[in-house]
Amino acid sequence: MCAAVAARELAPPGDGGLSEIYAGIAAYYSAKIVRFGTTPEGVDWTCQATQEMRFVQLLKLCDFASPFSLNDCGCGYGALIAYLDRRHGDCAVDYLGIDVSGAMVRRARRLWRDRCNTAFTLGHASPRTADYAIASGIFNVAQDQPRHDWERFVAASLDELHRSTRRGFAVNFMKLPAGVTGRRGLYTTDTASWARYCASRFNAAAEVHDGYGLMEFTLIVRKL
Amino acid sequence: MGALMAEDDIYIGPLFDLFNLRFGPEQTEQEFEAGGSSEIKALQDEFDIFQQGRTFVESAKLLGLGGLHNNRAKNRWFSLLTWLARVPSDQDGETGDQRIVNALIKNFARKSPLPCFMKAHDSRGPDGLRVIVCEDKPIFYIDRTYLTISLPMAPKVPPAGKGAKKKSKK
Repeated sequence: MCAAVAARELAPPGDGGLSEIYAGIAAYYSAKIVRFGTTPEGVDWTCQATQEMRFVQLLKLCDFASPFSLNDCGCGYGALIAYLDRRHGDCAVDYLGIDVSGAMVRRARRLWRDRCNTAFTLGHASPRTADYAIASGIFNVAQDQPRHDWERFVAASLDELHRSTRRGFAVNFMKLPAGVTGRRGLYTTDTASWARYCASRFNAAAEVHDGYGLMEFTLIVRKL
Repeated sequence: MGALMAEDDIYIGPLFDLFNLRFGPEQTEQEFEAGGSSEIKALQDEFDIFQQGRTFVESAKLLGLGGLHNNRAKNRWFSLLTWLARVPSDQDGETGDQRIVNALIKNFARKSPLPCFMKAHDSRGPDGLRVIVCEDKPIFYIDRTYLTISLPMAPKVPPAGKGAKKKSKK
């Protein structure tokens, strides 16, 4: 059997009143992939190099010494797969991509249809529990959402990543520069707040990684 | 560079700006250095973006230095950067392309690399049809030494090699 999971289109669990936010995210990224195709620009990154630098940081979560399962939340067209194959091709990774954009999931399925241990599902929740999960850039583009509402989405997403993983998860955030007002439409935050949230709520070890040249940081949450 | 960018000559300035922002001085007032040459150094350390045997245009593509919204201008810009492999440089034995790649490799191997600045000079003038790389202060209101890369350009002048075949047939 090729795909490690039967990626079912499950009815999403209660979305906590976030359906409008999910719809906004889906519309935003569907427009991007239609405009730019399966390229970094199609998932709103500036280039392949910075897109993959984020993968480098997020995957510090994982132990590549033995096979594992990985959920990729906000997977886009599955760019992570190409990176995994190139840099970690000797480790079997059972991959499930999850995205709220139907257009994105369709393109991803087409792009990776011949790859084993690979599946995609539409929605904001994972239909399976995996060893690890990562989410790259899903908290950045808040569009016109009030900060309070967007932070409810961030919290719900972190809860979901915790619920659907056995060993831990990793996410990234744009950093709020000192003394600078955040850019309209983008969500920026300090390095401590969400690390504290994860450590206390999930009884986990939360590590902040920064200093990799981008104005952002990666939060790695390992379950104790 | 009339012959290569044609009516997209007007985008050469913004394309330089794109390079100069990505390779410019890092944001030093933050808790950590990020953006600009710090970002490029981190990318170079991780991925060897610039390397022997890889042309500058290939690295430019990895870094998205062709812009997003005008495919024709982007393709023409990448053609221009490709053409740099066919022009000489201020360094004996190096083409314009090799000169840029080697200078960037050397610069980003430093612990504190210089920011980089790309501009053009008139290839009909004393600097001639060659790529010139030097360390200087190209922006008078920024007191900072840059690695400056200057590309030869001229209006409606066929670049070296281009059109040579046609002429020889006549």
